[in-house]
Amino acid sequence: MIPRRHRVTKKELSGKGQLSGEDERLLIQRVKAGDQKAFEAIFNHYVSRVYRQAFKLVGNEADAEDVVQEVFLLVYRKAKLFLGKSEFSTWLYRLTANVALTKLRQRKKDKVVSLDDYMPKFRRDGHHLIRPVVDWTQDIDKFVAVKEFNQIIQQAMDQLSPMDKAVVMMSDMEDMPNPEISETLGITVQAVKARLHRARLFLRGRLTDHLGYSPT
Amino acid sequence: MVKKAQVMRVNPKKVDTCKQATSLILDYLTGELDSKTKRAFEEHLMVCPDCVSFLNSYKETIKFTLSLSYEDIPSEMKKRIRRFLRDNIG
Repeated sequence: MIPRRHRVTKKELSGKGQLSGEDERLLIQRVKAGDQKAFEAIFNHYVSRVYRQAFKLVGNEADAEDVVQEVFLLVYRKAKLFLGKSEFSTWLYRLTANVALTKLRQRKKDKVVSLDDYMPKFRRDGHHLIRPVVDWTQDIDKFVAVKEFNQIIQQAMDQLSPMDKAVVMMSDMEDMPNPEISETLGITVQAVKARLHRARLFLRGRLTDHLGYSPT
Repeated sequence: MVKKAQVMRVNPKKVDTCKQATSLILDYLTGELDSKTKRAFEEHLMVCPDCVSFLNSYKETIKFTLSLSYEDIPSEMKKRIRRFLRDNIG
């Protein structure tokens, strides 16, 4: 039953400012009942966040737009599936991650990059194969502009598998704890850590290679 | 398939090799190593400049990933999506 006292206010509709937990709960109840004004308020409030999250995963505007469309269509049609056991923002985050991952998996791979080529290699005795390992962090400013480095990281991120990319995005860009990533993606915490470490090693390897050093 | 060997499941009391040290980096950075393993990891770093360099570049990579910034949704796109939703949920 939706309380009669709650009407969608102009502030809620604009999507500006903070929504209190109670206001959000009431808006969602209204969305579940098919109230389009409440849906618009939820859309306005969350669209930027969903877009940024989608963009981080799919890597381009056109696909991010598709993801946002689909996510909000699902919010409207499947709002009843939101039982309020978690925060709405968490539910929406998971929904966005899943839609974006599906989009990524449908994408034809441009070029297969072997992650192994950028992994550290070790001698039989367990020490680094190529020594010395260069510490390029000391004079990184001399090498390349930060913008260029960001491009390399972005390109390398796009070469990760959809699941690895999602793990890096959630961990290193969203600062999400491993158990939450595990729950969102439906994999074990151990798998999250293994994927994260391997993906970071790959990204590190790509940066190192770009600077002209052996990534291994 | 993720190679499980990349992250060590059992923490060693001794870190003799760079391979062992590399497998512990993730847990070291999140403070998840037990005190003995942490000490062993740090003792290895004291005698292995290669692993210090490797650790520094690993940390710097995380910083670069964190610093990636993304534009807000273009207003035209927001309008298009709003139109799409109005047409599809009516």
